[in-house]
Amino acid sequence: MEAAAVIDKIKIMKRIIIIFCLLAFAKTYSQTFQESTTVYKKRVLETTEVDFLSSYYTQDGDNAAVSGGIGTEELTDATGTFVVSIPLNDDDILTIDAGVSAYTSASSSNIDPFDDGPADAFQASSGASRSDLWGNVTGSYSHSSDDRNKIWSTKLSVSTEYDYFSVGLGGSYTRLFNEKNTELSISGNVFIDTWNAIYPIELRPFGENVNGLNNPFFTRNNITGNANYNPNFTPFDSEGRNSYSLGFGFSQILHKNVQGSLAFDFVQQQGLLSTPFQRVYFSDVPDSFIDNFQLADDVEKLPDNRFKVAIGGRLNWYLNEVVVLRTFYRYYFDDWGITSHTASIEAPIKITHKFTLYPSYRFYNQTAADHFRPYETALSTDEFYTSDYDLSEYNANQFGFGISYTDIFTKAHIWKFGLKSIDLKFYQYDRDTSFSSHIITTGFKFIMD
Amino acid sequence: MMKRYIIMAFITTSLCSCAVVKEYEKVNINDPDMTLSEKKADRNVTTAHSYREAAVGANGGKTGGGCGCN
Repeated sequence: MEAAAVIDKIKIMKRIIIIFCLLAFAKTYSQTFQESTTVYKKRVLETTEVDFLSSYYTQDGDNAAVSGGIGTEELTDATGTFVVSIPLNDDDILTIDAGVSAYTSASSSNIDPFDDGPADAFQASSGASRSDLWGNVTGSYSHSSDDRNKIWSTKLSVSTEYDYFSVGLGGSYTRLFNEKNTELSISGNVFIDTWNAIYPIELRPFGENVNGLNNPFFTRNNITGNANYNPNFTPFDSEGRNSYSLGFGFSQILHKNVQGSLAFDFVQQQGLLSTPFQRVYFSDVPDSFIDNFQLADDVEKLPDNRFKVAIGGRLNWYLNEVVVLRTFYRYYFDDWGITSHTASIEAPIKITHKFTLYPSYRFYNQTAADHFRPYETALSTDEFYTSDYDLSEYNANQFGFGISYTDIFTKAHIWKFGLKSIDLKFYQYDRDTSFSSHIITTGFKFIMD
Repeated sequence: MMKRYIIMAFITTSLCSCAVVKEYEKVNINDPDMTLSEKKADRNVTTAHSYREAAVGANGGKTGGGCGCN
């Protein structure tokens, strides 16, 4: 009986082993089958895309920083930019972004207001500082993982204008979770900038190793008011400015019609944060003039460190097939004493399947920087001072309207490129001070056949 | 009492955000006007703001460097 029981047990064991082996084989086979199955991978970018962006900007106001918080802020700027995105393979994209901006500025022309006619802070001069050209090239490279849940990118940028040169390096990493409903990202940028400092013309004779009032500039131009003009001016020792930024992003699909995002940016700036050609007038120093132009007591002096924090959120809501609501809010503060709120709303309205209208409104406010002094209120004994009204307290309203044309079939062609969309927008921006501006922007998107 | 409301609001928000929208349900989310970044055509507007306003960042625009402003 005992022998028979042992044989039964052995038979049961054999069956268990066979079943286990079969299961193991089936699992291995299924894994092999899965591994050998080709997974379809959509290209991150199907074909080369080209965007041509342009804008024409004008502004005016009565608080020019170049003339110490008084004078014309009239400025026009025309910008053109090409952005070319090239798919290198299924996963990688190379983007080249190159732009030029040409501006004419009445206020910066008054760095030297004495080169023609009677000088006046409210009139433009015709000197070399009246206009400048800004150029920028940025190259970026991004790689997406096979499952498209991980994206990393890196970029290098160079920009230059007559008195400023900048090199930037940055990178970012993005991770998608939760069936691509949740996205987390981290980014970092470093900008190494250098000024070629230009000072107001009347201060230059008071720099190091020059001859003050004996300079030919003062023999050509007659000083009125305080004839014993003796500004408190020393050129800046260092002309470098470095910026380091760290950003965190989180976005979430909340519903099949709603998604939102949060962004946190931390920026540390070091170096020459003052603008060398922005004048300051002291209230405790007698005023000197040439023609109608008040001579500078100094240029603005600001701390050589600034830490900025910005926290922003977006919420987009697809109301129906006609209207989408796009909203944005940002809270900002820095260690110069500025806090700011920005809120905007845009409501794209699809009037046909090709045309969309873009009405928008944006509100912005900020408190003044600790070192802001309105025209002629700074003291010569202050450590820091600026009369740049961009650092003053104000509220601003911006109204915008745009129209967009989209042709998903890209019927219209220029050479091998089909026109996919055209955007045209206009924005009117008004502060509760004398400042106002307008901008017209256009965007053309082409896709290579 | 207030604590409870805060905890309930937190849990509700967390649960909402955990609801997964499937790929085939993302037709509206994938509409070009639903993107959570600014359109390229608005880039120069954002740049103008960064020149004229003290606040920068958290909007995809420049955070520093590259020009003599801000």
